[in-house]
This record gives sequence, structure tokens and C-alpha cells, in this order.
Amino acid sequence: MNKFYFVVSAIYVLCCTAVSVWAQNSDTPKQVSNTYFIKNCFVVTQPGVVLSGQNVIIKDGLISDIGTGYKPPFDAQIILADSMYVYAGFIETYSNTGIAKAENKERVKVQNPGNPPNEQAGIMPQILASDLFKTSDKSVADMRSAGFVITHSAPRGLMLPGQSCIFALGDGQNDKMLIKAVSGQNFQLEANRGVYPSSSIAILAKFRDLYKNAGIVGAHDEKFKLNPAGLSRPDYTKELMSLYPVTVHKMPLYFVAPKTKDIHKALSLRDELGFHLILTEVKQGWHYIDKIKKNNIPVLLSLDLVEEDKKEAKKEDKPIIKKDSVTVKDVKKPEKVEKNIEKENFDAKKEASEKEYLTQASLFEKKGIKFGFSFLNVKQSDIRKNIRRMIENGLSESYALAALTTHPAQILGISHLAGTVEKGKLANLVVTDKPYFDEKSNIKYVFIDGKKYDYTDKSKKPDTKATEAGKYSGVWTYVVEVPGSTQKGKIKISKTNGELKVTVVDDSTPNEEDTASDVNLEGNNLTFNITTDMGQPMKADFDLRFEDKTYTGTVSVGQFGTFPIKGDFESDPKSN
Amino acid sequence: MKKYFCIILSICAGLLQAQNLLIKNGYVMTITQGNKENMDILVTNGKISLIQNNIPSPQGYTVIDATGKYVIPGIIDAHSHIALEVVNEATNPVTAEVNVGDALDPLDVAIYRALAGGVTISHAMHGSANVIGGQCETIKHRYGAVNPDELRMQGAPRTIKFALGENPIRTHGEGNRITPSTRMGVEQVFRDAFTGAQIYQKDWDDYKKGLRKTSPEYSLRNETLVDILKGNILVHCHSYRADEILMLMKVLKDYGVSKICFQHVNEGFKVAPELAAFGASASVFADWWAYKFEVYYSTAYNASILTRNGVVTSINSDSEELIRHLYHEAAKTQRYGDLSDDEALALITINPAKQLGIDHRVGSLEVGKDADIAIFSEHPLSVYTIPQVTIVDGQVRFDIKNDPDDMRMDINPTEKFSSFYETEKDHESSGCLKGVAEMLMEDNYTRYMRFKYSQNHSHE
Repeated sequence: MNKFYFVVSAIYVLCCTAVSVWAQNSDTPKQVSNTYFIKNCFVVTQPGVVLSGQNVIIKDGLISDIGTGYKPPFDAQIILADSMYVYAGFIETYSNTGIAKAENKERVKVQNPGNPPNEQAGIMPQILASDLFKTSDKSVADMRSAGFVITHSAPRGLMLPGQSCIFALGDGQNDKMLIKAVSGQNFQLEANRGVYPSSSIAILAKFRDLYKNAGIVGAHDEKFKLNPAGLSRPDYTKELMSLYPVTVHKMPLYFVAPKTKDIHKALSLRDELGFHLILTEVKQGWHYIDKIKKNNIPVLLSLDLVEEDKKEAKKEDKPIIKKDSVTVKDVKKPEKVEKNIEKENFDAKKEASEKEYLTQASLFEKKGIKFGFSFLNVKQSDIRKNIRRMIENGLSESYALAALTTHPAQILGISHLAGTVEKGKLANLVVTDKPYFDEKSNIKYVFIDGKKYDYTDKSKKPDTKATEAGKYSGVWTYVVEVPGSTQKGKIKISKTNGELKVTVVDDSTPNEEDTASDVNLEGNNLTFNITTDMGQPMKADFDLRFEDKTYTGTVSVGQFGTFPIKGDFESDPKSN
Repeated sequence: MKKYFCIILSICAGLLQAQNLLIKNGYVMTITQGNKENMDILVTNGKISLIQNNIPSPQGYTVIDATGKYVIPGIIDAHSHIALEVVNEATNPVTAEVNVGDALDPLDVAIYRALAGGVTISHAMHGSANVIGGQCETIKHRYGAVNPDELRMQGAPRTIKFALGENPIRTHGEGNRITPSTRMGVEQVFRDAFTGAQIYQKDWDDYKKGLRKTSPEYSLRNETLVDILKGNILVHCHSYRADEILMLMKVLKDYGVSKICFQHVNEGFKVAPELAAFGASASVFADWWAYKFEVYYSTAYNASILTRNGVVTSINSDSEELIRHLYHEAAKTQRYGDLSDDEALALITINPAKQLGIDHRVGSLEVGKDADIAIFSEHPLSVYTIPQVTIVDGQVRFDIKNDPDDMRMDINPTEKFSSFYETEKDHESSGCLKGVAEMLMEDNYTRYMRFKYSQNHSHE
């Protein structure tokens, strides 16, 4: 029954109006007709090919015609698309879209940390993304509104989180979104602290063990099926049986490998064991570009680019080191500013390093490596911005478009269904008012399996956000109870250009202000996170609920646990 | 600004080309073949090809003038944890299957710091949290390389870390309430592991002989233990007390393992004749002790006593700071025990090479050996000496005349600190229990929570 391809055909279109849907922007009533006529638009049929004055007819979920001469069918809804651009819908080559984050569970006490149950160890290769994928997850509507029509989504988890599947990003029933039931096994160097395997060296050792045993069990099973005489019954451990297809090269292994050392680990393990490797979430891959090219290894570059923090840098411009700075020896002219050579050199190095990250994509293009993008840690709002930064650093627009359409389709083995605008293909399209990579372009419509999602009316949204954003501006105290101590400090909330800014200062370090990221306000619920460097980066997730002049909530610090937080309004920002 | 970055790159890249060197007119201390004044060393393709007076400079060779300077073999550290992303997998008393070679970090600036102390090779070890910890990696200090594989000393024997005493007892016995919680338990962990490996080996032998039809389960842990029993992996064991040192020698004898280097071995002086009789070697600190209870009975004469009893002895760092001045540590044995120059220098050159099974390739200045060379301004055992040039495989990796302040290779674009000091000042030290100290703390937390939970419920 190992058929990998389950093509969800047009039946879906008939159902989608009946199901109660959760669409963010399309408050459209029941659709009158499934036929659309997109009139007089530019069509980018594939990267680098633009046709003008085209009419596109969508019928029963498929692209039924593209050309200059057609007339709208009698039942068609006509979309006037003068000077609009129609692209093949974008594909997330790797993501966790549609799969909810695990709730912060209480740490389970493991009887023997050296030999924990597989669930605690993060060894879950039997898990299927299709059992977890929910179209109601906020990420699905978010990605759809960014022009994405298909996602290759992997379960969240640790070392072996499970099998990834390919889904349409529609808003219908979860099961009906499935495009390809199993796309691959997934592997990451993520450990559960305190239980085996708790480090990268043990994860790699454990993987070797599982891989070899999966091979043994699978071979035994095949032998047994052929002729069981004289053989014991095979050990049908679900973890090993799920890994077996990887060991016989029938399923690829997506290896999440952001940094140069991770990539080295992935490539070495591939050389050692021989599985079909797909390098995923690559951020620092240029050191191994020749090897990747030579071995024809598919690569998914991370869209989580280094942050532009020019403003931040200026703020922190206070000289940290004085010792090594060169003082002008002439005592008569003390006003001649100290030139901090160390700082200058440091800034130069940082700049050079940033450049390397930003030019990675163009380097891969020059080598002719067909890459897709992976979306594990990128914010939806940064996607186009970051691709534009890659383009500013040498990536061509058509290659960037290919990395969103044709390359993922090839890497995921769905070129026959997706990636280009062609007659007969599924009607998965994005319609923009200007070329997509233009800074000022807006997405107007997204079609998924022929269903229209309308984004033409989004002017109201930022406004409401902006007024809401000011609601809790001011300085708030906080008290966090952690076992053995109480931490106090201040949370400052301010609003600039409709954007919320949150900074946190702990009383123990009154001079260190941490700026929060991922700030989000919904109703009276404010969430954000703070990352501090405690030898390794530690992320604290804040979840606060406001009630007039007080608030309560929680702070979660990774696997250390979740702690209660509360506080009161102190003053508005100006009086501070 | 860009220029500066280019300089670093050119140091890293440019130096690599010079595999052919002529070191002129130095005071050459070969360690194994005496000292030679006004001597030249010719290095061809990364190997020492000639040691002679007045070698005419061949074309294409870089000449290094060592007039008035001291030329010794590159220093070797038999116990360090530099250039590693992970040191401990502290979750199980036996983790023979893990290998720190899987987590080498060529970007660790500590490698450069070691080079600045004349150290060309170190033994990057797993930590001492487990009775049988992970496999270790012998690395060459090729700072400038990005690919972790380039750090490996190809062909060096496999090694593994064992640990006795308080560290495994605290980690597992106190931390997780499992064996070992006493020194007796530590011995039993060894015996159980080795016996298990023998049974494993028999299962696979039976399968290969056709005595069983289906394959036994594969276990990388047992595979590694079997390799130890076969003598294919050198054992390096963290140890302090004389009684447990004798215990391990007895266990190894019972299982037929003969190659062992005791690390730290602070009470080695009490059992020096026994160590010599077993053929065990010892890698010690010069004068470092009393950092926990089992390390109180110690002496700075340890290295001298062991040496005079015929034990192959080395002095190690176990620290990314101490590694920068191992030559001072070796010199202390002249104050405490009157070792000769050759004996003292052997502690940081040929002896650690023997303990790592690489003495036929490095550890002394001899024709045919790897050109791992350190040049000092004064006699290397003088307190005034300063390392000048450090050469690994014929490539200059450190030159005091070309030594920029910040030699970090991988600066994160969002990095906040402009100096190594700023980055490191609040960090946990990188010793044997790296990564475990937090875990012990965390466990106290779990205990606290359990206590709190039970309190709440008893009131109901």
C-alpha cells in the first residue's frame, strides 16, 4: 500500500463551500460559481517567461485555458486584472506550517535518563505530519495570504520528529489538503536536555544504531515474507519499520543543518551511511558548495536571514573595551577622539560576515545548484523582504522565483502538478498588482485548487492594529516567581508607526535592556519573546493577559519550565 | 576596515602554502637525540627532511631565521577539551558509542591560543561524567581550516575516556539515583559493560558462523566496547586515588586490556611501581589539586616520582588557559624533583605522543617525522621564554610578529562582543564536567518541585 502519491482531485472543490471554514481575509459568502476568468493580465508561466494581455480561465479547480483570445464562459466570475501579474502559487519546500507548537508540558521525570522511552528521547519517526496538519492553524492562513499554495510540512519535535507530507494550503477539511502522503523522514540535532541522547554526539551515535537496526529488521521482514520457515517473527518495532525505507533509499532524509558544522555532520553521515540526503534550513552552506554540487545534493536555503540591526548597533555604540583602544599619545591634544581600532576591526569583520550570509543564495545560483527555500524560523512578514535582500546581493529574480515554484516542485517530486502556470494543471495561482519582487507590490488574489482567496480589501487591518497597539503603552512592573527566587523588573511598551515595541529590564541588571521580538497583540493578550545569551541562546516566551491596570500571565523558558508572571501599570512612557 | 579582514584571511590562507621551510641556525632540542647548536632544519612537504649545519637554501623554501632561538618539537597536550562543541553526554554511565570526533569545532579560537603556547597537537577528550565516556579525537592545531575533518590527525589510534571516582558517582548516583553511587559501583559498571560486550560478540560470531539464522541487534556501544577488549582503542582514564587506580588495573587485567593511560592520577606517586609493572602511563598536572575532596592527597613531585619509577609520564592542561603555558608546567618538575631538561621536556613532547600512540610520527625532532615545531625566544624551560613561531605540518600557524588581537574566525553578524574576553568572562569553565554542572543543578530543581508537590498534598 506504499503509494506515495495521493492526488486530491477536483472533488475537493465541490466540498469546500459546504464545510465551515476558517478563512482570515476571505469573508466571502458561498461561492456562486467555480469558474473564474482573469482578464488581461501578465502571466509568468515559469521563471523568466512573461506573457502579456493574457486571459486565464479557471474551471473546476484546474487551469482550463490561458491565452489572448478567449471569452469568459457564461458562468464565470470575471476578475479585471489589467496590469496584474499571475504567478504559479508559491511552494514552501520545508516548513512546520499547519502543525501546532507543542504545549509547554510539565517536565516528565524519566526513570532512567540513560535509556528513556522513545517519546522522551525524541525518536518518533512513525509520526505522520498528515495526522497533525490542521487548516485551522493560524500559519496556514498566514502563508496563504503571502502567496503560498502548497507546503511541505514536517512534524515538530526533536531528533526524529516524524514523516513530512505535502499539503495544499486551502481552508477545507484537513485530510482533503493532502497532496503527497509521505515525502520524507526528518532529522535534526535537537535534544531533550537531561535524557539520552542529550547532545549532538549522542544523537549521531543513536541515529547510527537505529539506522543499522532498521536495516536489519527490514531485511528480516522481507526474508520472512518470502519464506518464514525456520525464521523467528520479525521485530515490528514501529520506529525501525518507519526508518527502513530510508536505509534502502526509498525515502529521503531531510537533515536540518543551518550552520557550517551542522552541514559537515549531515554530509559526513550521508557518506558513512549512504542515505538520500536533502540539506535543510541551510544558512551557512558556502564552505561545502562544491561538495554539494558534485554529489547533486538537494539544498533548501533558510529564509531566516541574519537580522538587519543597524539601528540596534548604533544604540549599543557605547565603547565596551577601553583597554586596547589606541590613545593618541600627544597629551596636548586630548580632544582628539580615541580611535577604537578593535571596535573598527570588529565592525569590519561583522560586516564581512553578514555579506557572506546575504550572498549565499547568489553563490548557489552561480554554481547552478537548484535550491528551494525552507521556512522553519522565518516570520511570514519577512519572507519577501529577505528574498529581496538576497536579490540585492546578487540573486537573480528569476532564480528567486524558481526557488519558490519550479525548484521545490522538482525537489518534492510534484512538478507534474505544481510549479508552473500551464493548461491542465491545478489552479494554484498568485495574483499581484505589480511584479512580486517589487517592493510595493501587493498580493490581490490567491487561488488554491481553483478556490479564490481575495486580498484586495486589506486596507482596514493595519489601522485597527495601530489603535489597538497604543492601548497598553507605558511602563509596567513585573514579578516572576521562579523556584528559590523572585525576579522583578520593568516591561516598557511603546508604539511607533503602529508597531508595538516591548523592552524588558530586570532589576538585577538595570543597565541591560532586552528588546522583545515576535510582539503580537490580540485583544488583551500580549505575547512576545526575549532571547538572552547565557552561554547558549535562551529564549523566554511571555504570554500576558491585561486587565485594566494589571496583568497576569506566564513566562516559558524552554525546557526549564513555565513560571507565573504578574505586574501593574506604573507610568506612561513620557513621564518616565 | 575591509583591509583588516583581508589580512586575517591572508594569514590563514597564505601561511598554508609554505609546506617547505628552512629553519636556520637555531638551538635545536631534539628530545630524543640530544641538543644541537647552530643547526638547520629542512622541512619538505610537511615532514622534517634534514637536520644539519649550514643547509643551503633550496629554491621555493621559506626561510625562518632562528638565530639565538630555541627550536623544539611541537608541544603535545594529552588531555584537553578545546575545539569541541560537546564534551559530555552525561545521561548514562556507559556511552562508549559517542565520539567527540563528531563534534569537532575548527572555529574555536582556543586552538589559536594553544598555538600561541607552542602546542601543535592535543587530545580532545570526552568529559569525565561517565564511567565509560565517549571516544576522543587526537587533533592537529590547523587553525584556519573550516572543515572539522582537517583537524583530525589522520591515522592516530582511536582513544576513549574512562572515569573513576566522584565525577561519575555524583553525576549518576547522586544525580539520577542509579549505579554507580559508590566506588564499588564504578568497578561493577566496568565489569557489566565488558561482560555484556563479550556476550554481544559471541552472538554476532554465532550469526556469522551460521549458528543462528537471524541477525542479532546491532549496538554501536557494544561494538565499541568489543574494540576496547580487542585492544583497538587506547584507554585514557580520569582517576585520582591510588585504590581505584589499582582497581582499574585489576579489571583490565581480568579482561585482557593492556593499554591504559591514567589521567590526572594525583595519587599515582603512591602506586608508581605498580603502574610501571602494568605498563600503564600517567598524564598529570604539575601542581594542581584540592579542588574537590578526592584530590587533597597530592604533591608537585608526582611527575618526578612517576618518571623516576619508569612510568611514561606527561603533563597536561585540561584547560584552554593552561594549554598556553605547558612549558612552564613542565619546568616546575625541575623545581620539584630535579628532572633533567630532556626529562622535563619529554613530559610535554615525546611522552604524551607515546600515550596517544603517535610517537613514531611526532614528539621529537627527527628526520622523517611530521614538521610540528615550536620556536622559543629563550630556553623553553626558562620562566622568561616566549613562544615565537609554531609550525604544524610545515605550515606556520602562529607567528608572534603577525599576531592580530582578534583571531576569531566565525563572527556572527549580530555578535555583540568585540573581544574574546567579553564573550568568555561569564561563561562556565570548560573542564571535565562541562555541560554537567547545569544538569546537577537542574536536578536539584526537580527535587525541589517534588518536595513542594508532596507538601501541598499533605496539607489536604
